[in-house]
Amino acid sequence: MAQSRFVYVTFIRTTPEKLWDALTKPEFTRVYWYDMWQDCDWKEGSSWKLMFSDGRIADQGTILASERPKRLVIAWQNEWKPELKAEGPSCATFEIEPAGPAVKLTVTHEIPVAESKLIDAVSGGWPLILSGLKSLLETGEKLAIPHPHPRAENA
Amino acid sequence: MSELTSESTIYVTYIAAAPEKVWAALTSSEFTRQYFFVRTVESDWKQGSPWLLRRPDGAIDVKGEVLESDPPRKLVVSWNVDGNEYMRALPAAVVTYEIEPVGDAVIRLTMTEAHPTPIPAYLLEGGRRGWPMIFSGLKSLLETGKPLNIPTPQPPKED
Repeated sequence: MAQSRFVYVTFIRTTPEKLWDALTKPEFTRVYWYDMWQDCDWKEGSSWKLMFSDGRIADQGTILASERPKRLVIAWQNEWKPELKAEGPSCATFEIEPAGPAVKLTVTHEIPVAESKLIDAVSGGWPLILSGLKSLLETGEKLAIPHPHPRAENA
Repeated sequence: MSELTSESTIYVTYIAAAPEKVWAALTSSEFTRQYFFVRTVESDWKQGSPWLLRRPDGAIDVKGEVLESDPPRKLVVSWNVDGNEYMRALPAAVVTYEIEPVGDAVIRLTMTEAHPTPIPAYLLEGGRRGWPMIFSGLKSLLETGKPLNIPTPQPPKED
């Protein structure tokens, strides 16, 4: 689909199941994802919402594929920033593969829009979010970064 | 023949470590052999000095020059892969490491692999596969004290 695409790969010392849970469960995402959480039953075709900590919807969409603990695909529509919302739905794919004693996580975020502002925004956000996820799973601790302004930093 | 490209590869990671510690991890063999596919580094890391990356069997893997050295913030090196005659004939890449504090206890590490002279596109795949492994291992090593030990990948092949 992509005219704009961001790909990020990280290797995490964990199991595919734990990584899946850390990507989907609010008790994990609130720690590493700007205090945000997702409202979803993680079934294919179900609705998906990414919520700010105050309950407003940041992004929403549909689960296009859900194969725990290997592959998750979300049709992802920005809702909180007009210039990003105007670009229409994007697609975020999470792929989890064993890699020796670790797990390889590949996040691909793409949209059929040239020079997409959404992809530009998530290119800054994903490395920060996924670095925090890796730290949490490997050390049990939150990565101590100042809370970025979610309206500015995250799509 | 694969198409030519001068596209850069960029990798960003955030690490709970002091900038000096990350600098040491990039420039000291006691660290690199634990996260950089068992390779060691040799240089005095002064601007204009040579540097090299050595495979565990002692063979030179990469060599180049230190183009800029501003510890613990920025290191720029030229990067000539020395694996075989074909690789030696390719123009040098320029690899830049930038270490920026983000808050009190975390740094942002940004690696940029630039190609001032175009190279066959498939050769970018080696870096695009390797850098996430290298920096994931570096982050694990500094944050947990233990290497990640991801299996060493094979070099890219032309289709």
